[in-house]
Amino acid sequence: MRALSVCLIAFASCSRTSRDAPATGQVTVVLKHQPLWGDAAPFHAFLDRFRRENPDVLLRTETLPNASDVAREMFLTALEGAADDFDVFAIDVVWAPEFARAGWLADLSASFPPARLRAEFLPHAVEAVTLDGRVYAVPWFLDVGLLFYRADLVRRAPKTYDELREVARAAMARNPRLAGFLWQGRQYEGLNCNVFEAIRGHGGELLRNGRIALDSPEARAALQWMRDAIVSGLSPRSVVSSGEEETRRAFQDGRAVFLRNWPYVWAEVQAPGSPVRGKVGFAPLPSVTGAPGPGTLGGWQLAVNAHSPPARRHAAERLVAFLTSHDAAVDLALHYSRIPARRAVYDDARIRQGAPFIAALLPIALAARPRPVTPYYALASDSIQGELSAAIAGLRSPAEALSRAQRIVDHLENPR
Amino acid sequence: MKPQRQGALMAAPAAAVLAGVAVVPVLAAAWLSLHRSIVIFHEQRFIGLANFRFLLQDARFWSALGHTAYFTAVAIAVELLLGLPVALLLHRGRGLLRAAVLLPWAIPTAVSARMWAWLFNADYGLLHRLAPGIDWLGSPSTALHAAILVDVWKTTPFVALILLAGLQTIPDDVYEAASIDGAGRARTFVSVTLPLLRPAILVALLFRSLDAFRVFDAIYVLTEGGPANATETLSIYAYKTLMRSGDFGYGSTLSVATFACVLVIGLVFVRVLGRPR
Repeated sequence: MRALSVCLIAFASCSRTSRDAPATGQVTVVLKHQPLWGDAAPFHAFLDRFRRENPDVLLRTETLPNASDVAREMFLTALEGAADDFDVFAIDVVWAPEFARAGWLADLSASFPPARLRAEFLPHAVEAVTLDGRVYAVPWFLDVGLLFYRADLVRRAPKTYDELREVARAAMARNPRLAGFLWQGRQYEGLNCNVFEAIRGHGGELLRNGRIALDSPEARAALQWMRDAIVSGLSPRSVVSSGEEETRRAFQDGRAVFLRNWPYVWAEVQAPGSPVRGKVGFAPLPSVTGAPGPGTLGGWQLAVNAHSPPARRHAAERLVAFLTSHDAAVDLALHYSRIPARRAVYDDARIRQGAPFIAALLPIALAARPRPVTPYYALASDSIQGELSAAIAGLRSPAEALSRAQRIVDHLENPR
Repeated sequence: MKPQRQGALMAAPAAAVLAGVAVVPVLAAAWLSLHRSIVIFHEQRFIGLANFRFLLQDARFWSALGHTAYFTAVAIAVELLLGLPVALLLHRGRGLLRAAVLLPWAIPTAVSARMWAWLFNADYGLLHRLAPGIDWLGSPSTALHAAILVDVWKTTPFVALILLAGLQTIPDDVYEAASIDGAGRARTFVSVTLPLLRPAILVALLFRSLDAFRVFDAIYVLTEGGPANATETLSIYAYKTLMRSGDFGYGSTLSVATFACVLVIGLVFVRVLGRPR
């Protein structure tokens, strides 16, 4: 429920909009984005640079609620109503195929050719914004699931699930008050992210012939491992009702050996006054084979409204190019700890100096994999959550839950 | 004839507003429920009653209906049982006591539900300390009861307030008459207070059951319907189908079904309330 408090804050500090009338010959471009944490000044200074370099564009910004669900509802209703009062907008990674399929996103392939994007950006971030070979959004910044561990309790990060279990057990034997492995098992989108990571860590895939495929032996093994973690006491029962913040707090209070979470946790656990400051390491998620387990890809992309008239669309594409440029990514990383979507940014001296944590994330970001890239994912996600939750809570066996989830997905993709 | 026309004229704005904000949307939802309407695929075609046929065999709908009915029945029963003694206490108490009792009701539901979610938290929650064996929000069997507990905590003051208003309409002379007739405290309560309180109890029941049947915010904040949809009520299922999945057709069908249930409950209560004793 971090999302809800975030959304309350977002509403309270609502949009800062300049409503100047455009000068003659100027074209107005409206950017809708969710608030970036921290001091707004660096971001506004950056936007002012765009204004100086593009005197023919009057740029206005509007702030969205930071809760992903709420922002999605707003876009769903606005875009379905063919709203054209905004031109560039930030979308969550899982919306791209769906919104593109709905015809709400302008095809950007001419200005951002897929081959160039694949060369400059992290490959899976590009995969998430591409539908049928066309580009519908440009990655702005990323998020990725990773493993945090207590460097004072374990010598090195575990590479396999078995190793994680053994190392955690040893630490728990020394200190019985410790929980072994925390993750997010509450029924919400985060649960899907956790389960998909486990499925890939067990060697499974989520798409077969472009369709969502959940009922696989690897998926059954993955869910069984997660359920076993709870039953065997490796993970506390509380993970069944936990989201990001609950697990982050428990880990930060020094009550757990391992935590699966998003990169924002790093700034929190390393903050002055944090009980585990200086005692935390991070690593890719474990897998069955010991190869780095792919974390789920999250993050935000910039898209152009398909209903924007041509004059504004051209200016809008310039704004997207500016905001997703190398320098913009460096700025976002330094000032807001946002994870770059551009490959070269990780090697930039400013990042290596000013944000070594982000530079060190490169292998994890490279391995990140999106949720199933299909227009049906958002439609199916909610039903999938319910069935996965049933398996995590022990209400149904993994096999039964997955076959039920698969039936629902098949019905959505192929209604009879 | 004049007064009638004047009356109709004065009621017209209210009737127009009511039609605009209530009747038209309800009819629009009913019309939409007869369509397959999936926003992202621009699908919008009339399919008659197919959504309702699917509804009848949709296990998730029936379990949501079951959760909603169970939530409503248990929450209201407990609220009445607790609200009555509280109202009797408040009837004697004054000012500060009344304000204190109303506090839970004054806190926005989303805020109090968030607070309760921390109390229920299986790692640090106070309730977890008191009863370590129970995983309140994590277990399908207890999560709905946790939601009921939050609702009882929040709305018992409201029920008590309505009952208090009812108590204050009972004139003192009936009590005097009862005591002259030699009735004891218990007898007075059963034969005088309760019967005279009946209208207030029915009003409380009506308000609360309509409200509880549409419960959304508390459960959404506590569990979002989880685990395993064990706390999913009709409103949450409809919301998820409409806004998360963008399935406007079936989502409207669920809303219409919820509306029909609430309408039936309302009509039953109005009939009971309106019956002369």
